Amino acid sequence: MDSLVRVEAVSKIYPRVHKPRERMQAFTSLLLGRQPAHGATVLSDINLDVVRGQSLGIIGENGAGKSTLLKLLTGVIQPTQGRVVVHGNTAAMLELGAGFQPDFSGMDNVRMKASLMGLTNKELKERMHDILEFADIGEYIYEPVKHYSSGMVVRLGFAVITACRPDLLITDEVLAVGDESFQKKCIQWIQRFVEQGGTLLLVSHSMYVVQKLCQKALWIHSGKVEQYGDVFPVTQAYLAWHETRLAKEKKLRIQATGEGAYYRIEGLSLEGAIDGQPPAFAMGDTLKVELQIYSPDDRPPVGVVGVVRADGTPVYGVISDNEGISPVKLADHYYRFRLQFTDISLLPGSYNLRGHSMDPEGVRLFDTQELVFTITGNTKEVGYIRLPHYWSD
Amino acid sequence: MIKANQRKLDLVFFQNLVIRQIRQDYLENMTGFAWLILQPMILLAVYAFVFSTIFKARIPEAADIGFVPYLAIAFWPWTAFSEAILRANTSITANGALIGKIAFATEQIPLATVTATFIMHLIGYGAVLIVLQLTGTNIHWLYFLLVIPVIILMWVFACAIALFTSAIQVFVRDVAQILPPLMTFWFFTTPILYAASYLPDSVQVIAQWNPMAWFIARLRELLLFGEINFGFTALAMVLFITFFAWVSIRFFRRFSGHFEDFL
Repeated sequence: MDSLVRVEAVSKIYPRVHKPRERMQAFTSLLLGRQPAHGATVLSDINLDVVRGQSLGIIGENGAGKSTLLKLLTGVIQPTQGRVVVHGNTAAMLELGAGFQPDFSGMDNVRMKASLMGLTNKELKERMHDILEFADIGEYIYEPVKHYSSGMVVRLGFAVITACRPDLLITDEVLAVGDESFQKKCIQWIQRFVEQGGTLLLVSHSMYVVQKLCQKALWIHSGKVEQYGDVFPVTQAYLAWHETRLAKEKKLRIQATGEGAYYRIEGLSLEGAIDGQPPAFAMGDTLKVELQIYSPDDRPPVGVVGVVRADGTPVYGVISDNEGISPVKLADHYYRFRLQFTDISLLPGSYNLRGHSMDPEGVRLFDTQELVFTITGNTKEVGYIRLPHYWSD
Repeated sequence: MIKANQRKLDLVFFQNLVIRQIRQDYLENMTGFAWLILQPMILLAVYAFVFSTIFKARIPEAADIGFVPYLAIAFWPWTAFSEAILRANTSITANGALIGKIAFATEQIPLATVTATFIMHLIGYGAVLIVLQLTGTNIHWLYFLLVIPVIILMWVFACAIALFTSAIQVFVRDVAQILPPLMTFWFFTTPILYAASYLPDSVQVIAQWNPMAWFIARLRELLLFGEINFGFTALAMVLFITFFAWVSIRFFRRFSGHFEDFL
């Protein structure tokens, strides 16, 4: 396998540099060939191997260390420990328009940037036409860059990259700028680049983009590798984690009234659940739900079973008496509903199964319980649920 | 193969950096270029007035040349040298945005600044030499071929110093305050306004270790007196400056990977 990027046990500690004394200390320790002693650990013990043709998406929360990792890969900063080896020629778009001199014309800046990325004057001359065509900013190319709109800076920055034909393209969340049609143009170019054997290293908050363009994904959480592997399991785990975290506060509000509830839920279970672990199902599996309700006056209660996204967005719900269903009486005061969702068409992600108990009249809601489960699968569909569909001509 | 290719490409980038520096510092406004000639001219006039009119300074060995040409020959190279070092000193911090975003050999920044300053002042030097010739000073143009290696050696020396100071400047910001008076001190201890023979013998022993004194003396000999005086000291200078440059680049690279953390 042709390794393009190898990251071996890399850690990055930013030294403390606010006080002159700290800077002086850092200076002397560097002079003596040592690493500055104290600082903020941004990345610790990262291992990574990017093979040619296998694009990698880097995901994680803000401040997880993604950009620092990219900077290490591009060689803008050096690791405190470990080693970064990059083979082949690299183009980095950490910030489009970085290194542009605002007082100089677009043309001058293209020349500068191209030489920085390793183009000779001859190559640049040959490709200048393509660059101008891609940037498509017309006569503005002769104007100082400071008169450009941010979109035009992005256009020009990306246009230079396209001319460099790198083996490895490293990009931060830069494609979010620029107008719709230019974004499309960029994505198309990147797709073609990937199809033609180019390798992409992408930081993005859009799992859709990551899944579309990358084969592998790396999830960084507070400077450490949380998960690393094929793109689908990693992105799904990340999304699930994210949603659960977002939902935590919301959950508190719908917490069950529990013991004091009149018609209270005795149990909500999902077949296949193991204690402590959220059960996982593949798309197309069957969900077997059991809901037990305690009825203080021994009249058969009404049960509600539904599915919500981990962030609380309702996906589907069904109420027993609307469908003419009565519970099975297990013992005095104890009733049970059993329900199966067949051929489950939820898209991969984290969900909550939610059960409610209602009075026999189906008017008042008494108790709520939730159960987390995940749906796994490899699909590039988006949304919550797969709608039956076919493509016609 | 790849390495050779890489070096060539870096040269293109370096050229662009130098051009950018020149345009930024000197050609940005129309007067920038004029000031490049005017500023040292004015300073030269001030020194000439103070030393030859007020102090009645006479340089015995240049009695028939006159004080102003004697000073002018030395003054431009010194200005290039001094200004190059002072400009390069803050060049890393000034280009912080570039260093934080793009990976490249950072030493090119101070080197480009030194180079740009030298190129621009050499143009000024050429203009001054022509003016001197037209006003009756006999410039030994034939020896200009030997002036070039002397200036190149001086440029290497300036580059080496700039690599030291600019790297330290990133960590210790006080360098920017310390450096200008140090350069002024160096200016007055180098025989630019006076001849080396004016110094007491005891000081001359120390002064002969000043590389700038050697450069200035050679430039005067070549251009004003038409003398070639390269002996053992020339070889020693080449060896010393090569070694010094090698140390400076090693020193710079020890820190350059960490600049981003401190900018």
